[in-house]
Amino acid sequence: MVRHMANNHASLDLAFHALADPTRRAVLGRLIEGPAPVAELAGPFAMGLPAFLKHIRVLEESGWIASEKQGRVRTCRILPERLRATEEWLTGQRKVWEARTDRLAVYAETHLATEEQP
Amino acid sequence: MNFTQADLAISRLIKAPPAAVWKGWSEAEHFDRWWIPLPMECRSIKHDLRPGGGFETLMREPGGEWQPHMEACFLEVVPGERLVFTTMLSEGWRPIEPWLGLTAIVTLTPEDGGTRYAARVMHKTPEDAARHSEQGFADGWGTVIEQLGKLAAEW
Repeated sequence: MVRHMANNHASLDLAFHALADPTRRAVLGRLIEGPAPVAELAGPFAMGLPAFLKHIRVLEESGWIASEKQGRVRTCRILPERLRATEEWLTGQRKVWEARTDRLAVYAETHLATEEQP
Repeated sequence: MNFTQADLAISRLIKAPPAAVWKGWSEAEHFDRWWIPLPMECRSIKHDLRPGGGFETLMREPGGEWQPHMEACFLEVVPGERLVFTTMLSEGWRPIEPWLGLTAIVTLTPEDGGTRYAARVMHKTPEDAARHSEQGFADGWGTVIEQLGKLAAEW
């Protein structure tokens, strides 16, 4: 259980590291619409293919995407599991703050609002 | 999903004037009552509302030992209106390796005789996700208990 959690956290670290780069975020944004060949993905970016492939590798290693080669064309697709795990993490943080805000609201309404009135 | 930042934004209309909501934030005795979900208890050991002022809380389970919860530094304080703090710094703007890296901007605006309460929370990417998700678990658990309590009251 502990080991599993540790692995999970390590993989979340990788996932967010992958998101820390604008090129990689743009690639993910494109792949959400559907699979695409590397050449098409690289198109909008002013960088050489080797540099672009490094970004693809980071996305693959962090579990965001997978790629398959057919003939001379390498096609990338997004992996929904990673998307879900990261969304869940952010959803968890949102819940913490939602609950905290609810508690403040209830506290202010029941204990503080009346004190303010003369 | 937004890939640009691990940010979140909360907004609530609270049926209490900004002065009352501000009191809930600015006075430790009140702040401690809502910051952490029951059954956990919260104790502020620094709650110095001024730029550079320390902001530090402890928590404990009922009957348990006090343990660190959060260490942070206030960046901006406009009484009754706006509060900014970060866990990337401690008292006096001293850099720290936080338990969870975030900066939060809290704003209070008068609306319909109450207060529009907004919190924007910007997370450092969770290199510290491990510790954060434990916190998420603790808070989530508290919420579950709270909800159970409310249900129980209706039965």
